[in-house]
Amino acid sequence: MASLLTNLKEAGKNLLEIAEKKNLDEAEAYLVSNKVLTVRLVNNSVFEAKGVHDIGVGLRVIKNNMLGFSSTADLSKKSLEKLVDAASSTGKARKLPFKYSFTKPEKIPKVVGVYDRKLAKLPAEKAVDLAYEMVEASLAHSNKISDNAGVLNVVCYETLLLNTHGVSAENSGTFFEVSLSATAKNGQNVSEGSNATAGRSLKELKPKEVGKKAAEMAVSGLKSQKLKEDAYTVILDHEPTSEIIGYLSMLVSPMIARLYFPLLLDKVGKKIASQQLTLIDDPLMPSGVGSEPVDDEGTPSKKQVILDKGTLKAFVYDSFYGAIEKKKTTGNAVRASFAVGVSSFPGKNYNGEPIPVPRNPYFKPGKWKREEILEETKKGLLVRHFHYTRLTNPTRGDFTSVLRMGLYAVKNGEIVGALKKSRMLDNLLKILENVDAVSDKLVVAGSWGQYAHTPIIRTKAHVASIE
Amino acid sequence: MDKDLALFAVDQASKLGADYADARLEDHYNELIIVANGKVQRGVINRKSGIGIRTLVDGAWGFQSTTDLTKKGIRQAVEIAYKVAKASSKHVQTPVKLAPANSYKTSYKTKVKTDLENLAFEDKLKQIVSWEKTLHTSKKIVRGLTEYTGIKIDKVFASSEGANINFSNSLVWISLKADSTQGDLTQSYEKTIGHSGGYEIFHRNNMEEIASEVGRKAESLLSAKAAKMERDAKIILDNDYIALLVHEIIGHPSEADRVLGREAAWAGTTWWAGKIGEKIGSDYLTAYDDPTIPGTLGYYLYDDEGVKARRKVLVEKGVLIGHMHSRETAAIFGVEPNAGMRAITFEYIPLIRMSNTFFKEGDWKKEEMIEETKHGYLVSCMKHPSIDDKRYNWTISAQEAYEIKNGELTTHLRDVALTSTAPKFFKSVDAVSEKVEILPLPGCGKGDPMQALYVGNGGPFIRGTATILGVK
Repeated sequence: MASLLTNLKEAGKNLLEIAEKKNLDEAEAYLVSNKVLTVRLVNNSVFEAKGVHDIGVGLRVIKNNMLGFSSTADLSKKSLEKLVDAASSTGKARKLPFKYSFTKPEKIPKVVGVYDRKLAKLPAEKAVDLAYEMVEASLAHSNKISDNAGVLNVVCYETLLLNTHGVSAENSGTFFEVSLSATAKNGQNVSEGSNATAGRSLKELKPKEVGKKAAEMAVSGLKSQKLKEDAYTVILDHEPTSEIIGYLSMLVSPMIARLYFPLLLDKVGKKIASQQLTLIDDPLMPSGVGSEPVDDEGTPSKKQVILDKGTLKAFVYDSFYGAIEKKKTTGNAVRASFAVGVSSFPGKNYNGEPIPVPRNPYFKPGKWKREEILEETKKGLLVRHFHYTRLTNPTRGDFTSVLRMGLYAVKNGEIVGALKKSRMLDNLLKILENVDAVSDKLVVAGSWGQYAHTPIIRTKAHVASIE
Repeated sequence: MDKDLALFAVDQASKLGADYADARLEDHYNELIIVANGKVQRGVINRKSGIGIRTLVDGAWGFQSTTDLTKKGIRQAVEIAYKVAKASSKHVQTPVKLAPANSYKTSYKTKVKTDLENLAFEDKLKQIVSWEKTLHTSKKIVRGLTEYTGIKIDKVFASSEGANINFSNSLVWISLKADSTQGDLTQSYEKTIGHSGGYEIFHRNNMEEIASEVGRKAESLLSAKAAKMERDAKIILDNDYIALLVHEIIGHPSEADRVLGREAAWAGTTWWAGKIGEKIGSDYLTAYDDPTIPGTLGYYLYDDEGVKARRKVLVEKGVLIGHMHSRETAAIFGVEPNAGMRAITFEYIPLIRMSNTFFKEGDWKKEEMIEETKHGYLVSCMKHPSIDDKRYNWTISAQEAYEIKNGELTTHLRDVALTSTAPKFFKSVDAVSEKVEILPLPGCGKGDPMQALYVGNGGPFIRGTATILGVK
């Protein structure tokens, strides 16, 4: 690793020198080494084990307040020369109507628990065995389990941000995500269950637990009833609540709001959710799934309140969108790939300009114990899984999700039985407004690459059965 | 790019003892320009070269990619691909077998008139800014958005069975979107233009006129009436709406890995698993997947396993005929492989993907379909899908619709969404128009890590029944 970082530093230094020689006003190099190992499980087997090691650099340049960007995976001197020219060419017609400059050096805080040597050095063969433990645990839970499919992704990244203002920010981290989907069969009855989690260290990786929980959910759904379409009191378990956090996070990005989802564009300072809900972004949280000392522009991380007791306090900013709205960056620059045909692996990407988004968002825990929320629900639903969730009208907030599995009827504080596949159809803002209970503990939950620390919440929503 | 490196990689894998190996050596050039409300949000050029090596060892797959194109770097990647396959083989219940396929040695290119790199980025950016400006046909247009993508890929595929295929591809598309507002009402309209080829598509089309039409449509929706709930309404779906419908309820469920339950943990499975040969729709319903159509986003002649592409018949006269296959799933189903495997870059292992999936034409003129509808709706242009995990229950919204009364288009409708089940809709189809149009769908997602791939989808106008959902 040491020689790799030396290579990245060398390439970054060369780039800034080339940019200076070409008389560019400012330059910023974001260098990445991103390793991903994926073990996919299907039909109770290891289906494929696949790895990627991506090394490259994204370069932003400013000349006469014109901003350009380009990236390459080739760090040879010849390629870096070409890269500076390409970045300059993309900037030629991109004169910014506001004053823009890259970030200045600041003191970088420390974050603990985001890099684990054991996870970074995990041999691929061992990762394959660990992934398969999910299948074994699921099959061992019940002889009704007929099929399992899932994934283990292990990520190890190292990044270096250098700019002509003297910012030099190194960042390294490890990450895993693990999920299993189990199928149970009993005669003609078929039911699915799932579980997923993520973490930053090997000691947090407990594949047997994931396998067992997925199997439990699958078996619990074998005897299910059809739901009657109605407006219900709904307890959203950790996984669906993490998806709500994911949507809310997109909506407070000035870029995403301006381009695609304008639902909250004019709502800063307004009450948009129940008093019970406070959304915090804390990239300094020890071992947080999105924690890091700096953002992807080299700005030091800081904790901030986005939604305070239901009132939208602020959007989150990187330096670019901050400059557009005459605000300072809030340290929320994230380099996610932004084009089809460009890799979008977990971990770090160098081939896109930063996007401002919350980095480690969570709902502040409430006062309710998880069991109390259930006990004090007279009549309602427990929703443990969202599938194919969409904001079908990003202006109005129409929201839909298929309740594919893990759906239960609740009566007088008890789960009284599983329900067949249904669909939630409501408005996201109404769902947020109707939250009347938030649990007191955060759990890492999510699916398909998106994870958050989340409590469970209780709200109201319209739910209909589907064939 | 030294093209022999792909052969070097598969030789190395064979030397290690892999039962089968293939390599994709690729050189990528990508452009991205996003303009919103007169401001350039993104102006990007990306370049990336690398190799992805897939190995089959004792019945299990391994894969590793690298951007280090030295022989040492490739050798290391091959070793990892071999090692992880070997480790996986301990946990495989049914060892992978590949259906036989011919090994081709050939070279082909997408027809390009204006190469992306022969035009100054600055000039393209200026044009895209200008088209965004044109979206603002009046003050009612509060948001305009243009998103342009240009991709060039040089690819070498080599396999341990002797295949060696070179493919130079070029793809271009642009989405134009306008949001309009009046009082509390906000509406939007969007159109995507794209093809496999060069920048000439923007010279062939009158982009200013298209952008202005998008703006006018967004405005006109402000005076349209909100759709009302109507169960089992007679609907005529235009090519654009059909493109998303065929994608979601014919294309995805036809992927053999989904049929086998291999995508169960992600996008889901397929309701028609085990129903090949069964009648699932009306006689009017025939659907294909065909990568061999030049100019489409799903164009290729050999897939990422080196299998020669051909038209796949998925549904014929309402009978489920077959699926899209890899060599592995073809062996399981006992059929010939049909070139369904693609990966977005060398960094990803190939998956079974759509190429161009579309409904076959019928013999109706679309005007006749409308004239012979007493009460119904002409539903136009795709918006948002929400489909269940088995691709059975579907809800897809449309950008606009017109009520049909006694064979004539009458009231203009907004906020239209249709819902039905796949078999119910398929069985309801009673008229199909004579002209097929295949449209670009650039962001089809599948896999873990997710691969967002460009495909073509479409068909003729189709008449059937579905429930219209009102605004909640």
